[in-house]
Amino acid sequence: MAALLRGLRAGRALRGLGRVVAAPTATDLQSGGLRRGFHRAVLRLQDESKSDKHPSSSSSTYHEHYQAHHAEPDSAGGPQDDLTSDPAAEEASRANTSYQDQGGEQGEEYETEEQLQARVLTAALEFVPLHGWSMEAIAAAAETLGLSSASTGMFYNGAGDLVLHFIAQCNSQLTEILAEQHNQVQLGQAEPKKTADFLSDAVETRLRMHIPYMESWPQAMSILLLPHNIPDSLKHLSTLVDDMWYCAGDRSTDMNWYTKRAALTGIYNTTELVMLQDSSPDFQDTWNFLDNRIQDVVNMAATAKQAQATGETVVQGLMGAAVTLKNLTGLNQRR
Amino acid sequence: MHRAARAALHDRSDPVGLTMIRRCLRCRVPLQQSSRAYGIVPPPRDSEEKEMLDQILRVDHAGEYGANRIYAGQMAVLGRSSVGPLIQEMWDQEKKHLAKFNEILAENRVRPTALLPLWNIAGFALGASCALLGKEGAMACTVAVEESISEHYNSQIRALMEKDPERYTELLQVIKEFRDDEMEHHDTGLEHDAESVPGYWLLKTAIQLGCKAAILVSQRV
Repeated sequence: MAALLRGLRAGRALRGLGRVVAAPTATDLQSGGLRRGFHRAVLRLQDESKSDKHPSSSSSTYHEHYQAHHAEPDSAGGPQDDLTSDPAAEEASRANTSYQDQGGEQGEEYETEEQLQARVLTAALEFVPLHGWSMEAIAAAAETLGLSSASTGMFYNGAGDLVLHFIAQCNSQLTEILAEQHNQVQLGQAEPKKTADFLSDAVETRLRMHIPYMESWPQAMSILLLPHNIPDSLKHLSTLVDDMWYCAGDRSTDMNWYTKRAALTGIYNTTELVMLQDSSPDFQDTWNFLDNRIQDVVNMAATAKQAQATGETVVQGLMGAAVTLKNLTGLNQRR
Repeated sequence: MHRAARAALHDRSDPVGLTMIRRCLRCRVPLQQSSRAYGIVPPPRDSEEKEMLDQILRVDHAGEYGANRIYAGQMAVLGRSSVGPLIQEMWDQEKKHLAKFNEILAENRVRPTALLPLWNIAGFALGASCALLGKEGAMACTVAVEESISEHYNSQIRALMEKDPERYTELLQVIKEFRDDEMEHHDTGLEHDAESVPGYWLLKTAIQLGCKAAILVSQRV
């Protein structure tokens, strides 16, 4: 299975070779050139679509200067077009994407590709109610940010990228909220909650973040179930559950580590599914379902503890009986 | 308490923002000897280092857990014999080691190995079955296991020293201390006629092979 996923990813990477963009995590000098090339390609396409906007001479001379220094072979329409059209150049000298530090890869105004992707995806969330979790939403967002709609090419995974980005964002919001709550407790401004209540509130807080996108959430869930998205979505889910337990105070280092996380994962997933078809006001049915499930787990844990205590007592009783027998039959004489 | 104070300095750069929690958890304990900002394990700088530290801590925790169960097995059979108090003493030291690793794992949010139930049963079975061969059998088992563990700790120490002795000073200290304890157990076993058990070489080799396999598997699973 892992090999299959690796194969899929390799296939996608080979396809990506045709594009000008480097791998998202590469920040070294070699890929910097590729990234700059990509930005220029994006802006060139933008030029062609917005050729009659307001000119600004300063930016076009700057653009010429840039062209003179970077005569790279990827000039699709030849450098001539760029000298005349400038709205792109103007947009290029916008805060985050400055080409002025040509060697300064890590200059403050230089935005990495990851940051750019994050910005586009965050903007795309607004278009999800309209277009669903799809490339259209990303394209619409790219356009509002001033990029060409073809810049969606940098998202290999398409809608999957959007959904995963949203999930990561929700998870980090949740951990911030939990950390804040913990602060409050430490400062004595709030009472520490019992574990069951803490988990119930944490899951509710996290699931409420889906409410604005509730109508299209089934589509998002099915995207997450696609084979190439499963590893990432599982990773997000496991870190989410691990964080929730850690903030609830779990410090176990034995099988409890696994059983607790498995239980909470089950609760979270089933509650999410119940939420999909819940039509009660403010999803009250879902929160009731959540409370009941957590109560079930608490009861099961108590029962398990009870069973273990009973078992230990029984074993002790049996040992006592065995020793008595050995004494009676005289087998316990010499040691 | 020594440990709690050291834990007071623990402050990892957690990308997920839980640093605040930890700082608050420790904020009331006064500062202690080391001027570093962390306890025993330094906060990993990237996912590679985290992976490496996770594996080291996971397998060490599994090892101490297994050793615990082995001594428990030996005590179950030989607890009331003349060698009982000696085994009990070695067992108590292993319990201290396990407690230390439990603490380190919890602090660093390391996942314990999923094979713990397996090591539970296997360790107890090994200890009990060797003890059934008599006191010498139990001592031979101790010698074999402690030799494996010492070798394993030594290779970890080498690896950490190669990477960055400065950064891992406290962790190296802990591992060295535990390795010395295990060597002591090994020598105790030899002193108490471990080698006089019939089939000593076979028993020792088999146990050490098992330990190597266990170490390899516990690192990842």
